[in-house]
Amino acid sequence: MAAQTRRGGVSLPERRSASKLDSSILARISSSPIVSRGKQAAWDATFVSKKLLRSTGKAAWIAGTTFLILVVPLIIEMDREQQFNELELQQASLLGAPPTASALK
Amino acid sequence: MAGLVPPGPTTVPAGESKKAEEKTDFMNLPCPIPFEELHREALMSLKPEAFEGLRFDFTKGLNQKFSLSHSVYMGPTEIPSQSAETIKIPTAHYEFGANFIDPNLMLIGRVLTDGRLNARVKWDLTDNLTVKANAQLSNEPHMSHGIVNFDYKGKDYRSQFQMGNAALFGASYIQSVTRHLSLGGEVFWAGQHRKSGIGYAARYETDKMVATGQVASTGVVALSYVQKVSEKVSLASDFMYNYITRDVTSSVGYDYILRQCRLRGKIDSNGCAAAYLEERLNMGLNFILSAEIDHRKKDYKFGFGLTVG
Repeated sequence: MAAQTRRGGVSLPERRSASKLDSSILARISSSPIVSRGKQAAWDATFVSKKLLRSTGKAAWIAGTTFLILVVPLIIEMDREQQFNELELQQASLLGAPPTASALK
Repeated sequence: MAGLVPPGPTTVPAGESKKAEEKTDFMNLPCPIPFEELHREALMSLKPEAFEGLRFDFTKGLNQKFSLSHSVYMGPTEIPSQSAETIKIPTAHYEFGANFIDPNLMLIGRVLTDGRLNARVKWDLTDNLTVKANAQLSNEPHMSHGIVNFDYKGKDYRSQFQMGNAALFGASYIQSVTRHLSLGGEVFWAGQHRKSGIGYAARYETDKMVATGQVASTGVVALSYVQKVSEKVSLASDFMYNYITRDVTSSVGYDYILRQCRLRGKIDSNGCAAAYLEERLNMGLNFILSAEIDHRKKDYKFGFGLTVG
């Protein structure tokens, strides 16, 4: 409570003197160049990773929607064409009626 | 052996007919395609008519030569704005049209509920001379225009003379130089804007590919290349450069013609991807889907429609 720099006995002044000592240790540690470098590096890393995530997200969106518009109808139509061809082949083989062909099917 | 004819440009001994096919016969070159259709294969793949909204077309033939068409369109329409963002206003219109198609004469007329009238005439006067006219009338002042074209088709060349309102005059000429290559040029003069221009074009065509190039004094250099990969698939690419405004655009596209459908897709260097699908649901019934995504302007347009008849 009171700012008394009396040594010994009461915890408060000791604490005060101890906190003063601690603050000086902590202050020394936190103002040391290693810690500040580390903090700067951590901040940089989060900044870069946020930007990377955002630009990857943008690229993924552009690639995904372009793929959806250009490629998906093509795949669907080619699949349908193949099914249609198989159906025609099946019908042609049925009408031609070779028994081995129907056995294979 | 008897009757051996000395080899000339048009007569070839029978044993060497294969070699003669490679040796071009300059007296018998094929007629080139018209100058305005120079880029037609590339345009078919790379410029599908993307629309936004609902489109319904119904064509009914009354006769062998005469048919009527009804068409409904509902959807947003872009209006040109000065700012960078696009402004779209929902519009809807109904279009009534009548077509008369004869071997020598073709008349097409369309009238819309927003007051526009569109008329086209194509008249084959003789085997070689054709007259074409195109007029668009509109309610808004100064937005109506009309053009008349006179086309003459020679043995291996085509020439065209065109006159339009607002004192527009133009002429074009294209000539087959070899069996695959044709060269042409055009000039135009616009009286109202006091502008004139000249342009040259070349087209090289084989069974598998078509390459065209065009240069104009308005600053446009356009090159295109279409390769027919198989009878169902063709790929196209296009490069357009304006040397006055320093504007460059390039695009790549494909065109798949399958039995039940026709699918066209393209991607642009302006960040624009578009696709157009026409699917045959039934005899005379076509279902149309169109999509266009512009990543740069963040403008997305999707449309669907039905075509009957």
